[in-house]
Amino acid sequence: MYVLTEEGKKYLKKGLPEKRLIELIRDGPVEMKEATQKLGKEFSIALQWCKKYDCVEVVHGKLTLTKEPKEIEDQQNGLKDVSDDKETSIVETLISRKLVKKGGEDLLKRAEKYKGQEVTSLNTDLIKSGVWKDVKLRPYNVESPGKKMHIGKRHPYNAFLGDVRKKLVELGFQEMIGPTIELEFWNFDALYQPQNHPSRDWTQTYSLKSPKNGDLPGGALLDNVKAAHENGWTTGSIGWGYKWSPEKASRLMPRAHGTATSARTLTNCKIPGRYFSIARCYRPDVIDATHGVEFNQTEGIVVDETLNFRSLLGILKKFAIEFAGAEKVKFFPDYYPFTEPSVQMSAKHPELGWVEFCGAGVFRKELTQPLGVDVPVIAWGLGIDRLAMFKLGIKDIRDLFSQNLDLLRKQVVV
Amino acid sequence: MPTIDVSHKDLCGLIGRKLSIEELRDDVMFAKTELDKVEGDVLKLDIKDTNRPDLWSAEGVAREIKARYSPGLPKYEVKKSDYVVNVDKSVEKVRPFTTCAVVKGLKIDENMLSQMIQLQEKVAGTFGSNRREVAIGVYDVGQLQFPITFKSVKDKDISFVPLEFKEKLHPKEILEKHPKGKEFGHLLKEDFPIFIDSVGEVLSMPPIINSDFSGKITEKTTDVFIECSGFDLRFLNTAINVLVAALAERGGTIYSVKVNYQKTSEVTPNLTPKKYTINVDSVNKMLGLTLKTEEILVLLKKSLYDAKQKGKKIDVLYPAYRQDIMHEDDVIEDVIISYGFNDIEPEELKTITKGGISKEIHIIDKLTEIMIGAGFQEIMSYTLTNVNDLYARMNTDGEAVEIEKPMSANWSVFRTSLIPGLMDIFSKNRHVEYPQSVFEIGNVVLADNSRETKARDVQKLAAACTGNVSYETISQRLDAFFRNIGIDYYLKKGRHDSFIEGRTAEIFVGKTSLGFIGEIHPSVLNSWDLENPVVAFEIDLEFIFKK
Repeated sequence: MYVLTEEGKKYLKKGLPEKRLIELIRDGPVEMKEATQKLGKEFSIALQWCKKYDCVEVVHGKLTLTKEPKEIEDQQNGLKDVSDDKETSIVETLISRKLVKKGGEDLLKRAEKYKGQEVTSLNTDLIKSGVWKDVKLRPYNVESPGKKMHIGKRHPYNAFLGDVRKKLVELGFQEMIGPTIELEFWNFDALYQPQNHPSRDWTQTYSLKSPKNGDLPGGALLDNVKAAHENGWTTGSIGWGYKWSPEKASRLMPRAHGTATSARTLTNCKIPGRYFSIARCYRPDVIDATHGVEFNQTEGIVVDETLNFRSLLGILKKFAIEFAGAEKVKFFPDYYPFTEPSVQMSAKHPELGWVEFCGAGVFRKELTQPLGVDVPVIAWGLGIDRLAMFKLGIKDIRDLFSQNLDLLRKQVVV
Repeated sequence: MPTIDVSHKDLCGLIGRKLSIEELRDDVMFAKTELDKVEGDVLKLDIKDTNRPDLWSAEGVAREIKARYSPGLPKYEVKKSDYVVNVDKSVEKVRPFTTCAVVKGLKIDENMLSQMIQLQEKVAGTFGSNRREVAIGVYDVGQLQFPITFKSVKDKDISFVPLEFKEKLHPKEILEKHPKGKEFGHLLKEDFPIFIDSVGEVLSMPPIINSDFSGKITEKTTDVFIECSGFDLRFLNTAINVLVAALAERGGTIYSVKVNYQKTSEVTPNLTPKKYTINVDSVNKMLGLTLKTEEILVLLKKSLYDAKQKGKKIDVLYPAYRQDIMHEDDVIEDVIISYGFNDIEPEELKTITKGGISKEIHIIDKLTEIMIGAGFQEIMSYTLTNVNDLYARMNTDGEAVEIEKPMSANWSVFRTSLIPGLMDIFSKNRHVEYPQSVFEIGNVVLADNSRETKARDVQKLAAACTGNVSYETISQRLDAFFRNIGIDYYLKKGRHDSFIEGRTAEIFVGKTSLGFIGEIHPSVLNSWDLENPVVAFEIDLEFIFKK
């Protein structure tokens, strides 16, 4: 078997240099300079071969054709078909010119020894040589399961949260991100939670060792929040009626709920706007099967001129359908210091039955107006961990942050 | 959220109707309550409203349900009396205020007694911030000689037998020995407030304990003296009103007490209904319905209000035990509860908004994809850890943001690096098949005085491999990571105490150092009980977010 070299392939396409030179001077003598320009580097090859066949003369610096040798035509044709195994003189010449080379011989030899045999692995020699036609490919035990391999995967809880995120985006919510370490101001005061409220006690929230205080925002915002607590400001409320302390508000704490981020967003939000956050939160709970070291809270707000209590229920019902696959929902009165009215929704999950799924309410005007928002704001929080536990087949909330590599490797993705 | 136990039979008795568990399940909603569990005759109720102590008893829940059948404002008569409590100047800086009442003609039975004790505990505990804001004492009037004095004493000045004890103790001994003293002792220091009667018999030492002599209520008691003490009269008035209104529901007759301060005096309890005015339009705007004024009036009365139309407004009167009404929305919520949450048709949002994920998460998702493509298992760790894992076991040192009074020393500081979390994974999975490759993308918290919160979140990516691995294992993967995000990086010999010297490099992009890569030092492997080499890198993602 013979194959064309790269040069051979080139001349098959363009024509041999000497053939091109003959074509150039066939209609009459041509200046040496012109031929050099036309043929470039290949001019010397062309001239060398033409001299060998004695078919070109140089007269007064011009190239003149004297005859058209058959050998040149034979060689050109020889390039067209080299697959023929015959070792002709033309092929020999082409080989000597490095336009053709022997090829595939070893491969064929290597492959031929398999002829008529049963082989285990199909290899390149067999495939290229065509010898595969003459062998029997041994059947495998195709029914034995594949050998185990470990692939890279998302952490199942994070993957679940990613799905939640996607769904909220589909529902028109924009993601917000807030700081892990918060001022009590944003975690409580801006949410109209009074400074002596039991939930601000150290048993309910963490504080920091050092430094204890951060910097409060200045200007009207601070004055308005202070006034809302002390006397209701211009919201039509009487307020909580106590002396508000900026020192207390400036204390630092790990965020106890994602609503702190919602409060920050309200000072700079679009109307209409929908926002959500999946926020890592921290509370001093005794760690057990229902209380982790820290937890993710999925919560958000809807800011819209057209909102009322019915649309609040509408939003929650939509969540129940989208997240819990529930058609049936039940609403209960609830209480949060920062919403009025407040509602809790239970949803009938197709497999879990009735689950408390969502807490929500209309932000109090004592909260929204000092932050510069004059339209109704609905705040909601989803009990997404319960659904995550169900989806991932987990009984203990601490297993959401599973460190068990064996289980993570076994965890199915879909 | 207060949780209370009530007897089914007792509750029905107070409502005046026999209601089944299923009927109650719906009806307790009108008291912002959920029926959590039924254990025989005992109903476990979750009362949602932490700002409505009037609801935290069988009497309170029954009152709201009863109003569904017989609507209107409840009326409480307070009879005048000669009972006097003198407040001495000495309590001014210790526990300056008290509100008091006497209730007579009680027929105390087991249910009533357990409700009295439970309500007292919930009011002082939840509403009164664990007795700091409100401490409550209830006494048998028959054992007392009025007038009573509220004063502050020093430890050696007094001794009395505390409830359930046999011997007389000084205040400090009570704080040391009595269970209640141990629990609430932190609220007192060198000055001890006491209620003491005219013959020198101590009633109690608030907010710790009553005396065994007069502070014990039994089924034989018919007349009680109640005092609430604390720092803010608004809390104290609410507390005394809640307590006496509950006893009035049981047929008790309320008598006033005159409390004399240095210059002023107050007559408590004051159960005169309070006034508020709401706009009809506000109700309908909030509700999304068009209720007629008459309908709203009916709904209000079913929520224990007295309501009268005045043009486009409604004047309401509501019971004095409520202190939660600050804004018309507070009244409007009661209208909506009275209407029934589940009788309102939910409505879809009318406007359209565009959703989106944050820029950081968008990028993190892509980085995660690359790491998974490189064969790493994603890990999710807590952001809280401890200095031992974070620094000591990593052979490093540093400053972490620390929590005051953590629940557990194991979770007391915020992580500043993600690598210890990955080491923890390897350490906990030594029996699991090798090689192991894990990564985490997450935030660390760094102290930062230039920020309003004196800290900032920094997103990091850390990856580690263990098993038959070498520096090349991880450098190859780091290289793949950077090539796939199109960032030119270079490595420069570096020093990091967690890594082996000579097998550590600092990762740079231009002049910015993004982190370290290297082979973990054997001393670190020892401290995590690891037997295989570990290679790891950690980079700061802020640079990539900005790109």
